[in-house]
Amino acid sequence: MIIPVRCFTCGKVVGSAYPEYVKRVGMGEDPKKVLDDLGFERYCCRRMIVSHADLIGEIAPLG
Amino acid sequence: MDIEIIEMAERRGKFILKNSSPAMANALRRTMLSDIPKMAIDKVEFHLGPIMVDDKEYESVTPLFDEIIAHRLGMVPVPTDYELFTYQDKCVCGGEGCPSCTIMYSLNKIGPCTVYSGDMIPLGNAELKVKDEFIPIVELTDGQAVLIYATAVMGTVKKHVKWQAAFGVGYKYLPIITIDANKANDSDVLRVIKLCPRHVFEEKGGKIVVKNSTDCSLCMSCVAPSNGAITINSDDKNFFFTFETDGSLTAKQLLDKATEILSSEASELLSQVEAL
Ligand SMILES: [Zn+2]
Ligand SMILES: [Zn+2]
Repeated sequence: MIIPVRCFTCGKVVGSAYPEYVKRVGMGEDPKKVLDDLGFERYCCRRMIVSHADLIGEIAPLG
Repeated sequence: MDIEIIEMAERRGKFILKNSSPAMANALRRTMLSDIPKMAIDKVEFHLGPIMVDDKEYESVTPLFDEIIAHRLGMVPVPTDYELFTYQDKCVCGGEGCPSCTIMYSLNKIGPCTVYSGDMIPLGNAELKVKDEFIPIVELTDGQAVLIYATAVMGTVKKHVKWQAAFGVGYKYLPIITIDANKANDSDVLRVIKLCPRHVFEEKGGKIVVKNSTDCSLCMSCVAPSNGAITINSDDKNFFFTFETDGSLTAKQLLDKATEILSSEASELLSQVEAL
């Protein structure tokens, strides 16, 4: 739906990193390197970003 | 409490707790996780009904339920200054809410746009603007708008996780790595450099040496292949801590507050025991 504000497991803020992650990976960067750059060490936070399906744009007109 | 700082960045820290005990290390960890007070948004008021902007009428409708938006706003880290704020129920205002116990934010946006945490405007002190500006809160399409007033108050994580300032707090016994000097240049022992998952060892002048012993996770995968040349022990008096903060406090402020709370709780316990 929309990226959660924080990691479900540890509580690190992940929301602010998601727009940048999508932009950089879209420009062809390696996702692993981008996640390391953004400071996500634990796999709980990395899965929040990697496994997110951003569907809010499709729901928005139906609001 | 004897603490040696290894790294202290704005939002993450590493330190060694020296000459202590496992009970003390765990007490410090739990204090950092659950006793640090911080500000978080606790009350959110939504404007319902049409919102007029520049003679155009917008509907106060969003793709997410109001409850979800309120929850998302609550999770946003809010800057905390212990000099400026106190708990609402212990405040001079008597719990009514005043500038020394609450922060008011207004959030007013019209679609089409993405509403970010940075769009929240603090009423009064502009330094209380949220530091993480690009947390998406909700997305709006044409004709949709939000007009929100949110109030942040001080609390601790015992009531809700949104008041948790520290996370990823962990410690390990400080590793003690000893290498038998007579066997340090054996080819079998040098092979261990590649086996260590944390890259603790390196080769210097044909001999194996320890590069960074604090990186060791005590996994012991180097012990058996080295045929007794390497031994790993853990020191139960010194503890290697790592922690992060969500940005509402700096790492240094958080550690200072944790040690302050821990020592005041210990002295309170002592005075209660003496009163028995
Ligand atoms: Zn996490
Ligand atoms: Zn007050």
